Amino acid sequence: MAADSANRSRWRGTLRAACLVASLFCTAAWAQGSDPGDYPTIAGINSRLAVWIAAQLHLMFAAFVLAVPMFAVFIEFLGWRAEKTDRVAARRHDWLAHEMASLLPVAYSLTAITGALLGFLLFTAYPKFMHHLTGVFGPTFIVYPLFFVAETLCLYFWYYGWHRWQGDKKWFHLLLGLALNVFGTIVMFIADAWATYMMTPAGVTEQGALVSLYDAVWNPGWMPLNIHRLVANVTFGALLCSAYAAYRLLLSDDARERALYDWMGYTGNLIALFTMLFLPFAGYYFGFELFAFSATYGVTLMGGVLSWLFIIQAIVIAVLFIGAAYYSWLGLLRIPGSEAQQRWSPVFNVLLIAGFAVWATPHTMAASIEESTGGFHPVLGALGVMAPKMIAVTLVLVVLYASYLLYRRAGRVPTVGWARTGTTVEWGLVGLMAVTIAALGIFGYFAPAHIRIKTSIWQIYVLIGGIAATFFLDQALLRGAKTVAAVRWGTMPRRGQYVLVLLAVVIVWLMGLMGYARSGARLNWHVFGIMEDTSPNAGLPSLGEAALVITLITAIFFALLAVAFAVAGMARGTDERALVELSPQGEPQ
Amino acid sequence: MTRLRDAWRTHVPLPTSVVLIVAAIYVALKLVRPVIPGSVILLYMGFVIAGATIHVTLDDARIRRFLDFFVEVSGREPRAIRAQRWALLAVIPLVLGWWVYDALRPKYAPPVEIFQRHPTVGEEVLKRVTVPAWAADPAKWRAEDVAVGKRLYEANCAVCHGEKLDGQGPAAEGFRYPIRPANFTDAGTIAQLTLPYVYWRLTVGGIQNQFNSAMPKWTASDAEPDASTLHSNDLTSDEAWKVILYIYRGSGFEPRRE
Ligand code: HEC
Repeated sequence: MAADSANRSRWRGTLRAACLVASLFCTAAWAQGSDPGDYPTIAGINSRLAVWIAAQLHLMFAAFVLAVPMFAVFIEFLGWRAEKTDRVAARRHDWLAHEMASLLPVAYSLTAITGALLGFLLFTAYPKFMHHLTGVFGPTFIVYPLFFVAETLCLYFWYYGWHRWQGDKKWFHLLLGLALNVFGTIVMFIADAWATYMMTPAGVTEQGALVSLYDAVWNPGWMPLNIHRLVANVTFGALLCSAYAAYRLLLSDDARERALYDWMGYTGNLIALFTMLFLPFAGYYFGFELFAFSATYGVTLMGGVLSWLFIIQAIVIAVLFIGAAYYSWLGLLRIPGSEAQQRWSPVFNVLLIAGFAVWATPHTMAASIEESTGGFHPVLGALGVMAPKMIAVTLVLVVLYASYLLYRRAGRVPTVGWARTGTTVEWGLVGLMAVTIAALGIFGYFAPAHIRIKTSIWQIYVLIGGIAATFFLDQALLRGAKTVAAVRWGTMPRRGQYVLVLLAVVIVWLMGLMGYARSGARLNWHVFGIMEDTSPNAGLPSLGEAALVITLITAIFFALLAVAFAVAGMARGTDERALVELSPQGEPQ
Repeated sequence: MTRLRDAWRTHVPLPTSVVLIVAAIYVALKLVRPVIPGSVILLYMGFVIAGATIHVTLDDARIRRFLDFFVEVSGREPRAIRAQRWALLAVIPLVLGWWVYDALRPKYAPPVEIFQRHPTVGEEVLKRVTVPAWAADPAKWRAEDVAVGKRLYEANCAVCHGEKLDGQGPAAEGFRYPIRPANFTDAGTIAQLTLPYVYWRLTVGGIQNQFNSAMPKWTASDAEPDASTLHSNDLTSDEAWKVILYIYRGSGFEPRRE
């Protein structure tokens, strides 16, 4: 009997998952209290779910094609600058930029296809809402395709004209790349205006009649989302490029090719880590504007239905950072003679894990009847508040920075006369930074709330100040340092490449999660406070269902991306002679 | 120091150390009282096991050291080492097996409850709440209103929410599941809320969580004629506002502005 009921509950789980998928295709199509003409069903599809999936996929490909040109053009520029001083480095950078760009044409088509699908779904399944949106944003709907076409043209000329505009015509090629970026950014800003208008509408009357198009575009959420998306897209694009590099490295049996792709993965990971540091601030800025617009957003996101998403987010971000750090520790293995640096990795590992465990400790916990202490745990609750989390996360950043310092030092011997004292002072400063941050945090823990906010700001100051000081000290210290062992690119253990792939999967999933949070926060509104969603599907799914859909989106995205990767890989027959010259040696800049 | 480490290494091979550390952390977490919810232990152990995996795979020599312990049997090794190998080979599958069994066996407890600190309410509902002029601006709250609020609070709310507004009233321990009475001095409760929301929460909002929370519904009798008899407590809307003024004054927070 018992086994039977267990079996049945297992079955029910499977059944629920099946139902979720099935509901994509058939939904009871009767609307309550709304004109059925407002929400026609297309072929029995659950329109809300379909729009969710199409929008998220479109957004991810759009993010990719927007972000990759940003750093690809920058890397190309670096190569161009190095042309006079170091020809090999120049060619290597040019190769890398081109390699990244080679992913773009297919990704571009996928952006357009998913975009068309999204547009089709919106116009057929949500005619009333789209009528409203066109009424408000009419002119932008005309400008948008123009910029999109301009962006496309720039991309194709930039990518396919790569080898034609080399040498003294390179400046023109770079200019084309710049134009591509400018048009791409404009396209995103226009689309952001629509998305943020739905969250924080402005420039219309309470009935939704247009008063000022300017205000509707520049609504309170517009700039914050623009900034947040720009930064996050670069992180996202860089991690996907790293994953591509990992994929190529794992497939390759040519040592020189492996060296190049190893370097590509390393560069992508570095770009991602650097931009990731700014993301929390961009996120807070966006959040502040939302909360200022309506207290409902504050309640929904911080204590209400969607607050659990942020606990999941904390864990996922921890996975990202730990993975990136692990990758950098494995990176030491490709530098012969870095044993002194490698000895620190296990210590850093413990600190990082402990720090993130504190950071991800929830303030309110999910508990069964026997375990329940009423949503708040007297011991863990003390870890779940701001002060210990600030200590944890700033110390984690110190550890990551220290890893970076060690990596710079690996295989190099300083030659300046004051090397010994310099090194002592440098690590003394790093230690002092850590101690000060912890002390400030402990002081803040026992202080009243308004002082605690100040101590956490001071922790950031100490962190930035400490990093700046030691960074310049380190630059001076390693000036003219003797390189005793060059980086042996391509010799990193294969598991490092799998980490890069994992990081790409995690960032895609995270992007899906946060996309859901942003859009779901509107609750039952198409346009918050102005146009209500009265369709039969207007409810929020449960956490589990949302996670399933996000996972499904991630899977579809990677299936499509795999096609793009394969096509890009097919198109790029590597030039044997070029490789000999290109293989990166020594420290990349 | 190094001598000690070397001695440890010869007598306790890497796999044993890893398993011992993971087990020690697990036991330590299990020993904390009041118990740490299983969901949180799972989270922590996820981090610990990830850390252990990273530790073992930091370089190839370590991986070899870990695997060779199970594979490279020399036959001349001390008995203690052999005992450790067999112990690990027995313990690891047993633990995994237990884990699977435990996840699959039928349980009769209600599912784990994920509680929302603040039930979600539509903007249109909150718009209908009008804040009286004398309650709208914290700078202009009259001391006598707050004093009336304090009396009402002590009579009606303190049993649960505590004299000091810290959620530690004499009855609080009785309401542990799924959530205990709110601690108003914690930055996560009323400090996050606007006045209309708190008013709604006090007079109507309980209804959403009626079977989930001990928080009664303090119906203002004139405004809600058909209030539920189960959760009806009489506070006029004037009184309700005064209690709200007091919980903010008493906890030192200000209501969130709209
Ligand atoms: C029987 C115990 C009990 C009594 C009496 C009681 N409460 Fe509560 N109250 C709770 C519990 C339990 C919660 C937390 C669960 C919830 O939010 O529903 C809560 C939550 C609240 C919240 C919501 C806090 C938040 O962050 O969302 C407010 C406001 C509140 N109570 C005010 C009062 C006031 C004012 C009184 C007196 C008029 C009062 N309560 C009387 C048990 C009680």
